[in-house]
Amino acid sequence: MKKLSLAVLAASFAFVSHAFAAEAVGTNRVINEFPDGSISQEEGLENWQKFFEVASHPRCANCHVGADHKPMWSGPSFGDKARVHGMNINAGESRIGAETLLCSTCHVTLKEPDPNANSIAHAAPKVAMAWQLAPVEAEWFGKSSSYICNQLKDPTRNGERTIKEVAIHLDHDLILHWAWEPGGTREPAPHSLQETMDALMKWSAAGTPCPE
Amino acid sequence: MKLTVNGNTEEVNVEPDMPLLWVLRDELGITGVKYGCGIAQCGACTVHVDGVAVRSCQMRVGDLDGEVTTIEGLGSAEKLHIVQEAWIEHQVAQCGYCQSGQIMQAASFLEFNDDPTDEEIDTAMSANLCRCGTYPRIRTAIKTAAKNIREA
Ligand code: FES
Ligand code: FES
Repeated sequence: MKKLSLAVLAASFAFVSHAFAAEAVGTNRVINEFPDGSISQEEGLENWQKFFEVASHPRCANCHVGADHKPMWSGPSFGDKARVHGMNINAGESRIGAETLLCSTCHVTLKEPDPNANSIAHAAPKVAMAWQLAPVEAEWFGKSSSYICNQLKDPTRNGERTIKEVAIHLDHDLILHWAWEPGGTREPAPHSLQETMDALMKWSAAGTPCPE
Repeated sequence: MKLTVNGNTEEVNVEPDMPLLWVLRDELGITGVKYGCGIAQCGACTVHVDGVAVRSCQMRVGDLDGEVTTIEGLGSAEKLHIVQEAWIEHQVAQCGYCQSGQIMQAASFLEFNDDPTDEEIDTAMSANLCRCGTYPRIRTAIKTAAKNIREA
């Protein structure tokens, strides 16, 4: 019988997600650069607020959870009360569920991006990469604007990225693309991916100011 | 389109967005795999794709990338899979409807972890519902299967 080692499987998933981060996925978003200092503190904070509206939206925050590795079910589709993902789901330290039940057992993997793939409201959303939680360092669920702001510019917690690299990363992560095109009756993340990338770039040009 | 199920190459003439579950049951007549909900809420339709558990109601056949195994191909009449043997030993099934999904999920889980704790078993198996409530026997059978795998 074929033996699958947890470590090998987790490593191969990590590789897949890394590979996606390293290659263009053919979207038409662009990185708009703003010279350092060309954006005022005030405008920088406004743009941070825009990003925070995205980060704290259930479409994003539900999978940006902490070290209990339990995805959340919150937002208009789930009524007023936030609750943990049904069915006792725990994505484990691997953040892909490799220890017990892979996220991709139910959130199956598409061959290529397809906005029509998620038209059934109550089915498990699926995209063209292995479904997974965001890294534990990127915990957003229930966190304040100030906390997430300082976290996002901290290289030890943002994958050693400059803010421009963070913005580029947003365009290369296909789960994230789904957040704006979630299908069914799910509420999309606010603004748009392009506006979110622009907000980050403006916040960066203003010197990454954070709210109190 | 072509797909491999239980070691056999099959040719089917279907739309690529047809769920694998329908292809298996309605096109290929492989009915060990069950329909419960169609929305990834019950686990009755669980099969393996390259040895990993997948809900076949969620997998559009055009997205399939690997070889499918259903309960019919997990073991054989002559040589049952270790998980199937444990299921018989503990007489897990009641009505049986959920059981092919339970066994396929358990077999995949034990490939990753052949010495699971009760908590790990519950985490791995909680997305497979059993309306007959066979959960305590499922847990016991998984423990026996794990022990037999370790000793094999
Ligand atoms: S029929 Fe596929 S999970 Fe219920
Ligand atoms: S044995 Fe009847 S549903 Fe599980």
